[in-house]
Amino acid sequence: MSVVAPTKDHTTRGDLRLVAHQVRYEQKAFWINKTGAMFTIGFSVIFLVMLGATNGTQTISYLGNITNDQYYVPGFIAYGIMAACFSMLTSNLVSRRETGLLKRLRLTPLPAWALLTSIFLSTAIVALVQAAVLLVIGRFGYGVAFPREWLAFLVVLVVGIACFTAMGVAISSVIPNQETAGPVTSVAFFVLLFLSGLWFPLPPHSGLEKFSTFFPVRHFLNAVRAPFEQLPGSSAWPWRDLAVVAIWGIVAAFIALRKFRWSPHHG
Amino acid sequence: MLALSVKSLHKSYGRLHAVNDVSFDVVRGDVFALLGPNGAGKSTTIEILEGFLKRDDGDVRVLGVDPGDRSKQRWLRSRIGVVLQELTVEPFFTVRQVLERNAGYYPTPRRVHDVIDLVGLREKADVKVKRLSGGQQRRLDIGLGIIGNPELLFLDEPTTGLDPAARRMTWELIRALSSEGTTVVLSSHYMDEVEALARHVVVLTRGRIAATGTPSSLGGRDLGHVAISFTMPEGIAVADLPVVPSCCEGLRVEFDTDRELEVLSRLTNWALDEKVSLAGLSVMRQTLEDVYLRLTHEALTSSDEVRS
Repeated sequence: MSVVAPTKDHTTRGDLRLVAHQVRYEQKAFWINKTGAMFTIGFSVIFLVMLGATNGTQTISYLGNITNDQYYVPGFIAYGIMAACFSMLTSNLVSRRETGLLKRLRLTPLPAWALLTSIFLSTAIVALVQAAVLLVIGRFGYGVAFPREWLAFLVVLVVGIACFTAMGVAISSVIPNQETAGPVTSVAFFVLLFLSGLWFPLPPHSGLEKFSTFFPVRHFLNAVRAPFEQLPGSSAWPWRDLAVVAIWGIVAAFIALRKFRWSPHHG
Repeated sequence: MLALSVKSLHKSYGRLHAVNDVSFDVVRGDVFALLGPNGAGKSTTIEILEGFLKRDDGDVRVLGVDPGDRSKQRWLRSRIGVVLQELTVEPFFTVRQVLERNAGYYPTPRRVHDVIDLVGLREKADVKVKRLSGGQQRRLDIGLGIIGNPELLFLDEPTTGLDPAARRMTWELIRALSSEGTTVVLSSHYMDEVEALARHVVVLTRGRIAATGTPSSLGGRDLGHVAISFTMPEGIAVADLPVVPSCCEGLRVEFDTDRELEVLSRLTNWALDEKVSLAGLSVMRQTLEDVYLRLTHEALTSSDEVRS
């Protein structure tokens, strides 16, 4: 038998094909698991329809008299992205790690970067699908206009997806087991959503508004709303809100890369 | 050509010296068994070979490269297959989906269809993993281990939980892989399995090598003590026998000896002279399990003495 010297048997094209291959299976896994699809896309649609039915046409005096529907469409688009990238991804990663699925993947030639890229792209697809669904329901069900500045809207979504994915990966690395993953992320997530004004608009200069400015959720809600230009004279490019989200994302990415683990915590 | 070469390997977890000066070589195409009680350092050694754990000291070569070298890991992982102890397959995919996905990770995979046949899951190919029995899931695990057409295959207790038929099938599969030139590194608690498959064996206890050899010669098994037994001929009393038996059970008498030729010769000459038959005459060496238990027990008691 001849001695085979280790050579590179992968090319850039091969790597791209590998990522595409993995994204396909990440997508399959997501859509097979009805819970995930329900929690992201299903919930945001249900919330929108429910709230729209109760008080959708009322106007919000301290937000330039926009209607509740106008308020909720961007809000639940933001919710869907955070649910997919942060909440779902966290419990997905923890359960894959604790059941040994990540360890098994680690023992195949699929490189870590290819797996993480595929997970990011796959969550992005889910997030974008749900954003499109909500835009269409908002437009044709409730007469909420599409974003005026599409480019700004897309940039906001991509920044949000990247940052909340990083936060999801970071949190998943710190959570020890599956039993903790669900409650910790759900409670943290829903409390922050509540305090950040997803379900009801926060009155300006209220204590809650000040409290929620520390966290990325409120800023992301504002950022998704900006490109709709619902208030006269407002800017479509929410630089300040995006910056806060990005800072959280960068810190999270740093933690994620340092703390990421492949093996289950038990033995 | 060596598939594996391990020299003075060391690994500690805190104060526990999990692998302590372990050395062995495995030639290509060999079936090699790593044995030892739980906690003896088998899994740690195997995980170092797989590149999953870092070693503290020593030299390790897997298919000629250092598994700890990150730049070689992708190359190495496309040439080794791993079957872990615990089941780790997405329950919501079908057998075919999982195999197709993993096949996509390797540069030169086996055909999914062939692997499904090899592990005997043709009828279950489009069934979800969660609907498979424990044994079928284990066979899928083995399928995932060989889908990349590996040169070196690590099997951690591959037949635990399998029924006898599936076990024999797995043995046949391992033999077939080996005859094609695949090197197999096996860990198992079943000594009949080791005897049926392995050509070389290393026994670990408390992180050290307790014995190495072939299954038939391990621990001086081919030299030591032998049990000769037969059924007493009718009309013969135990006192009439030319050799004093070590024990009797009903009509069966047994002679434990390490001079089996001498004892056999005296018994058979006597039987020929007396014109009686020695019904069911058998000569038994220690089983591999006897030797294994003795080796692991010795290691445990001797290291206890050292400690106290």
